[in-house]
Amino acid sequence: MDIGILKESARQERRVAITPNVISKIRKLGYNVLVEQGLGLNANFFDSEYVEAGAVISDTSNIWSCDVILKINKPHEDEVDKLSKNQTLISFFSPSTHPDLLKKCAKDNINVLSMDSVPRISRAQKMDALSSMANIAGSRAVIEAAYTFGRFFGGQITAAGKIPPAKVLIIGAGVAGLSAIGTASSLGAIVRAFDTRPEVKEQVESLGGQFLTVSLDEDGSSTDGYAKVMSKEFIDAEMSLFKEQCKDVDIIITTALIPGKEAPKLITKEMIDLMKPGSVIVDLASQQGGNCELCNRDEITEYNGVKIIGYTDLPSRLPSQSSELYANNLYHILDELTPDNDGVININMEDDVIRGMTVIKNGEITYPPPKIKVSATPKTQEKKIEKLKPVIEKKGSFLPGFIAIFLLFLVGVFAPESFMNHFTVFVLSCFIGYMVIWNVTASLHTPLMSVTNAVSSIIIIGALTQISSVNTLSLILSGFAVFIASINIFGGFAVTKRILGMFKK
Amino acid sequence: MNLEIFNMEVVRALYIVSAVLFILTLGGLSNPETSRRGNQYGISAMLIAVTATILGPQVSGNYSIMIILILLGGSLGLLLSKRVKMTEMPELVAILHSLVGLAAVLVGIVNFINPIIEYVGIEKTIHSIEIYLGIFIGMVTFSGSIVAFGKLSGKISGNPLILPAKHYLNLIMLIAIIYYGYQFVSVETINHAINPLTMMLLISFVFGIHLVASIGGADMPVVVSMLNSYSGWAASVTGFMLSNDLLIVVGALVGSSGAILSYIMCRAMNRSFISVIAGGFGTESSVVSVKTEDQGEVQAIDIDEFKSMIAASKKIAIIPGYGMAVAQAQFVVNQMIQILKDKNIETIFVIHPVAGRMPGHMNVLLAEAKIPYDIVYEMDEVNDDFESIGLSIVIGANDIVNPSALEDPNSPIAGMPVIECWRGTHTVVLKRGMSTGYAGVENPLFFKGNTKMLFGDAKESLSKVL
Repeated sequence: MDIGILKESARQERRVAITPNVISKIRKLGYNVLVEQGLGLNANFFDSEYVEAGAVISDTSNIWSCDVILKINKPHEDEVDKLSKNQTLISFFSPSTHPDLLKKCAKDNINVLSMDSVPRISRAQKMDALSSMANIAGSRAVIEAAYTFGRFFGGQITAAGKIPPAKVLIIGAGVAGLSAIGTASSLGAIVRAFDTRPEVKEQVESLGGQFLTVSLDEDGSSTDGYAKVMSKEFIDAEMSLFKEQCKDVDIIITTALIPGKEAPKLITKEMIDLMKPGSVIVDLASQQGGNCELCNRDEITEYNGVKIIGYTDLPSRLPSQSSELYANNLYHILDELTPDNDGVININMEDDVIRGMTVIKNGEITYPPPKIKVSATPKTQEKKIEKLKPVIEKKGSFLPGFIAIFLLFLVGVFAPESFMNHFTVFVLSCFIGYMVIWNVTASLHTPLMSVTNAVSSIIIIGALTQISSVNTLSLILSGFAVFIASINIFGGFAVTKRILGMFKK
Repeated sequence: MNLEIFNMEVVRALYIVSAVLFILTLGGLSNPETSRRGNQYGISAMLIAVTATILGPQVSGNYSIMIILILLGGSLGLLLSKRVKMTEMPELVAILHSLVGLAAVLVGIVNFINPIIEYVGIEKTIHSIEIYLGIFIGMVTFSGSIVAFGKLSGKISGNPLILPAKHYLNLIMLIAIIYYGYQFVSVETINHAINPLTMMLLISFVFGIHLVASIGGADMPVVVSMLNSYSGWAASVTGFMLSNDLLIVVGALVGSSGAILSYIMCRAMNRSFISVIAGGFGTESSVVSVKTEDQGEVQAIDIDEFKSMIAASKKIAIIPGYGMAVAQAQFVVNQMIQILKDKNIETIFVIHPVAGRMPGHMNVLLAEAKIPYDIVYEMDEVNDDFESIGLSIVIGANDIVNPSALEDPNSPIAGMPVIECWRGTHTVVLKRGMSTGYAGVENPLFFKGNTKMLFGDAKESLSKVL
């Protein structure tokens, strides 16, 4: 089958669906790849690289007739018209917010796989372009903020005076939020983060952020891996927390999105009034109305000295990186769709991931998919299971002690004095051995065994004391014992020396 | 000719010196720095003990035979120690244990047929018990070690031998040994004692074989340290038999050392000593409730992706297992960490106590490849810090990195402490295929989102990374 990739038609889009790196991998799946001239120029990928990787440069009409079309943005209306019979389109689609587009595409046996409908299960992570893009957006949001912010992020003490570190508040610790936390803290800022889902605390802290909580106890986790809408009390508590923070922080990055709904308004006008002039807000939710009341889509709005950034094209501002990741996501999807590596797409509706993505199959709308169990929630529960304890535990029973004392008493009653002398030596030596061996480091357990092996050939003394016997059989037997014990002594010590010689710092 | 230079009191005094030096030998092993001196102590201790014995009143003739035998045996021992490869260490240790066992048997028999002192009454009974016990332990050590040697060197199958009613078989053999022991002790003359002694020799020979044969490959570290312990007890009992305190002391030291090692190994597998001795993995719970739930798919990567993952990491943990020893990959690993060092990537090694076939096996292999021991850590030292590790490379290990030990109470290895590498950012598992480990348990680690599989021979894969 032929796969075709065209330049993105959306305004200001610099990304490209497929990069040269991925083309050879796609060809290994059995496909031919046709690309438009100058496809990746905006993302710094040249035609020559595509050709070298095995793609064919072709004209647009040819590409529109390919069996599979790969895109990033959802198709424009005229593009939908160009879709022809039996074609398969893979791109972002947002079927929930664009039902009309969905209806329009449902024709002519066309298949549409929506990149934003990949279910959030761990197996599908490699195909989840939303996560890839969110990662980039989060990181870029910090960079945009740093660019707009009139100060350093990291603190310094210079001859000219002390520079305090910037304080960054990140709302929503999803993929984008976490990425922002990582980037901001590596720039040296003090990072705080808030999320309605308490289980992300660990992840926030692992990236160097401080996790803020409200005193109310409500869990915002849901079964689809995204946050859910919270109760009124919780929102009130949350808002007063933000209000407090606004007085203190320099940068706010909001990433709170609830799928299929308008973004919650988290930063109100009166909160912005409290912020210091020169502060920056980056609103990653501006595509869905914004988390910040004063945010304007695709613009920088200035209010009372506070700059509010509402860019929606953050991934596109890192075109090479986002193209690379998107292309990899696409490759993994094609890999799933081509189980036999024969270059033929097989939309297997039994497969949870493919089923979830497929919004139109053979010209019929198959959205929304039936709910599947998402692994994210069971996983968090699993974490809560306490680690299984080892079964070997010291039991605080006195019984063995009493038995031992009783047995010793019996030995004392019956045994002669000579035996008791030896027995004393024996028991004390066992204890010395016990004390000494616990100090041996685990890395030296092998030399310990080889040296104790040599040491245990002290039995040679037993053989030596009997070798002077006049009895021939005794002489032969003890002679042989001397012989093999000597093997052991010399061999054991020599090999120990050899091993220990290797232990070098 | 009689070279009796020392009287018994001097010999005893020298024995004390020797015993103290032996204790210092074991004490020296607490640290690689002092361990070499420890070994020197051991050599001196042995030299003093043997010289004192030869020049003391207990030895009165046959000096030339003695010296020739010692030199012959010694050269053979030295030759062995030079020839042995580090991967063959477990086999060597096992075969040397068998020699101690055999020596104990021989000394016991000689003492039986040619007693130095005639005992009477309760002393005679005790002496007979000592002889009998010494020969028994010696024989079990001997035959058990030979089987262990065979298993470790691959001459016999590493799978546990499962005879029907094997526990009863062991019990019957033990009862028979006690029965013949009673006969041995109660008869009046030596001639009458020969029969029960011969029977016991035969039974304990079979007993030793069966004991080790029924233990599986993954439990070998326990077996080897257990035999180590037995060889010590054999020496100790011989000391009782000969009224020789030095033998008692040193035997007890070795015996308790082996016992502690066995305990450490058992604890590292979360199994009781009894259950290890009683049989291998998968025998006690052969109907394992392995979850058939869809584990998802493994993500295979190729060398180039592996390379870029390495290059992108700041701190790498390498987790070696027996597979590294089999593939002889330790030298390539060393080359790799040298390169990583130049690139300023920190590399550490994490060793599970039962990785390999003998206690400390991995450490020896890494030391052989000249990997500095201060970057080699024990499991417990690293387990809490995996969050700071960007990439864990698992080389030929399986059960020791199996999360089901912690998460699945029904798993056969539930409760066994494991290296929790999945808590790090990424894990790459170098593996030949998707086979299970010795415990026969599926490893959910391979299906985790942050785990990638690099299939193929570990040595080959790593040398391509260089």
